[in-house]
Amino acid sequence: MKLSRVSAYFVLHAKSYMRSRSALFFQIAFPIILILLFGAIFSGSSYSPTSLVIQNESPSAASWGVIGAINDSGLFKVQILPESQNLSQYIDAHSVQAALLVPANFTENLYGGGTGVLVLKGHTNPTVASADYETLNGILTQINFKVSNTSQRLVLSSQVALGNTGKTIDYYVPGLIGFTVLSTMFNMVYTVPNYRRERLFRQLSFSGLTKSEWITANMMFSFLMLVVSDIILVVIGIYAFGASLTLNVETILVSAVIIFGGLFFFTSVGILAGLVSDNEETVSVVGNLVMFPMMFLSGVFFPLSFAPAYLVTISKFLPLTYFINSLISVLDYGNISSVSIQIVYLLIGSAIIFAIAVRLFSWKQK
Amino acid sequence: MPEKVISVNELVKSYSDITAVNGISFSINKGEVFSLLGPNGAGKTTTVEILEGVRNRTSGDVAVLGEDPEMSKTLIFKLGILPQDFSFIYNSTPREALNFYKGTLKASGDVGEILEMVELTDKATTPFQKLSGGQKQKLGLALSLVNDPEILFLDEPTSGLDPRARRNIWSVIKTLKGRGKSILLTTHYLEEAELLADRVAIMNKGKIVDSGTPMEIVERHHEEDNLIIRGDGQVESLMAAGGYKFQREGAYIKVGLKSIREATEIINYLYERKANFEDFTLKRESLEDVFVRMVGEIGEEDEAE
Ligand SMILES: Nc1ncnc2c1ncn2[C@@H]1O[C@H](COP(=O)(O)OP(=O)(O)OP(=O)(O)O)[C@@H](O)[C@H]1O
Ligand SMILES: [Mg+2]
Repeated sequence: MKLSRVSAYFVLHAKSYMRSRSALFFQIAFPIILILLFGAIFSGSSYSPTSLVIQNESPSAASWGVIGAINDSGLFKVQILPESQNLSQYIDAHSVQAALLVPANFTENLYGGGTGVLVLKGHTNPTVASADYETLNGILTQINFKVSNTSQRLVLSSQVALGNTGKTIDYYVPGLIGFTVLSTMFNMVYTVPNYRRERLFRQLSFSGLTKSEWITANMMFSFLMLVVSDIILVVIGIYAFGASLTLNVETILVSAVIIFGGLFFFTSVGILAGLVSDNEETVSVVGNLVMFPMMFLSGVFFPLSFAPAYLVTISKFLPLTYFINSLISVLDYGNISSVSIQIVYLLIGSAIIFAIAVRLFSWKQK
Repeated sequence: MPEKVISVNELVKSYSDITAVNGISFSINKGEVFSLLGPNGAGKTTTVEILEGVRNRTSGDVAVLGEDPEMSKTLIFKLGILPQDFSFIYNSTPREALNFYKGTLKASGDVGEILEMVELTDKATTPFQKLSGGQKQKLGLALSLVNDPEILFLDEPTSGLDPRARRNIWSVIKTLKGRGKSILLTTHYLEEAELLADRVAIMNKGKIVDSGTPMEIVERHHEEDNLIIRGDGQVESLMAAGGYKFQREGAYIKVGLKSIREATEIINYLYERKANFEDFTLKRESLEDVFVRMVGEIGEEDEAE
């Protein structure tokens, strides 16, 4: 790997790319159109679940009082789950988006002068969950005021990443960033078969350029383009639609690492997809085959709360889901520590796929 | 002993269905222009690509500048390559392409000078896709020159060029030869080989059927030389009277010659007898005539098998 060759190709690639209007359109204008679209549709609105499953493991006047208050608020249709059932299994089996658990020690803690903790469970779309969180918190605050005017004793804790706002746009900004990274895959899906057919890899090899230098230069350029389009996305999200993101040096740097990891991953997947397609028709088939399931199941465009349980399960195995969830945790909730292991997985997974792609990607003629 | 820059020994390349190169051997000396001639599908490009390290061989030995092109990672920096179906990134301009090569090959050559040399200066900033076929070809040649290579592989460098552009490429090749470059040239234009090549090898169906200087090959395979005289019936009767065998072909009288000396005898004979001939030419077979006949004969033999 020689940096001088990487930079020589970077310059060549950048110049030819800038000359292509359609490429620029897809890189810059398309994400902007998407955020304008999603922003216009969803800004300010938030989902409200029609029902809230509650299981009370600590029956007492206090706990039933809280549940009654939640029910009376009219914001939730409360459904009580008998103690005999396992809440977690119930959530999985019925794709419950949010369930409230009154833990066994709730009453004891509260009466003992401590804090009564309620647990909000669920494994679904964080936006929906965070909307529930906010609503529940509002109700609890009112209960707290009724119970005692001095200290807050009812606290809601949650077992999914929850933020301080419930606005859907907060969720779509990281989602669309994820989408821009995912779509870089298409650069490779189209370029690899095209360059092979035109025998451009052979021609490039005459310049002494190696395939890893070629991939590196491509990724560097894509990264630069991603930074530009994602900055535009964030700026529009914040200033046009009032998205509230946690932006500081740390979250920005960690987001850049996540974006790079995703780029690394999807570039490699793109090369592999490009290698199996040898003509134009198969290119789009293969590309869409890889892209669409990921796009829909990762929850970027449709909240998975409406999807059947098995799709939710599938989505858990899609890299894009982890990738976007990491971005949401970091950008929406400023939560870096909880995603660090995911980032490590992302980078390791990417490195493995990258190594496979480079191995299979031969510049020689048979 | 001249220094060998390329040596090929019993080279074989088989694809799944055919053997494209079937046990050929040759070598190229330093500073020599060596031309591979042969009909479509003879195996020229396959041979050249194996020497470039682009394709792996099935068997046989190959050395380029003392290295095995299949293994060497550094050989490419000493080679200049114009492939047969040259293509480039469709949105890049010749100047950008040359600058890129200059950057990767760490070459000191002047991009403007190279563009000048192949007559592409006025298209320096035109995207590749908008160049004409011949202009694309010129860019390919220009790229092969950036690193001032020791060996040039030019696979049909002038196909698709107009006659003037072709002459220009010829003069570039002559200049390169003058600078001591070794050149492997494949072509379908026999006159090109005759003009430029020190030695040629004629390939057919994966085998080398003959090699040597163009002169040697013509000498070995040519049929008799002819004297062509433009003249009327009076010339014919004089020829018959002198006992010369001839054929009439339209306005011309064609006489087969045992030697070139015989031509002077006939002209003297006619001149002394005040024959009415308007002009005459001496017709030797060219490399092309020999080539067409050789390749044709071999083809027929094969079919007869
Ligand atoms: N990748 C390949 N797979 C299978 N057969 C091939 C392949 N490349 C070339 N061939 C075959 O090998 C033979 C030699 O091809 P080659 O390109 O070397 O011929 P050539 O002498 O360069 O012809 P031309 O003058 O048309 O360029 C041909 O019969 C061709 O069909
Ligand atoms: Mg060829």
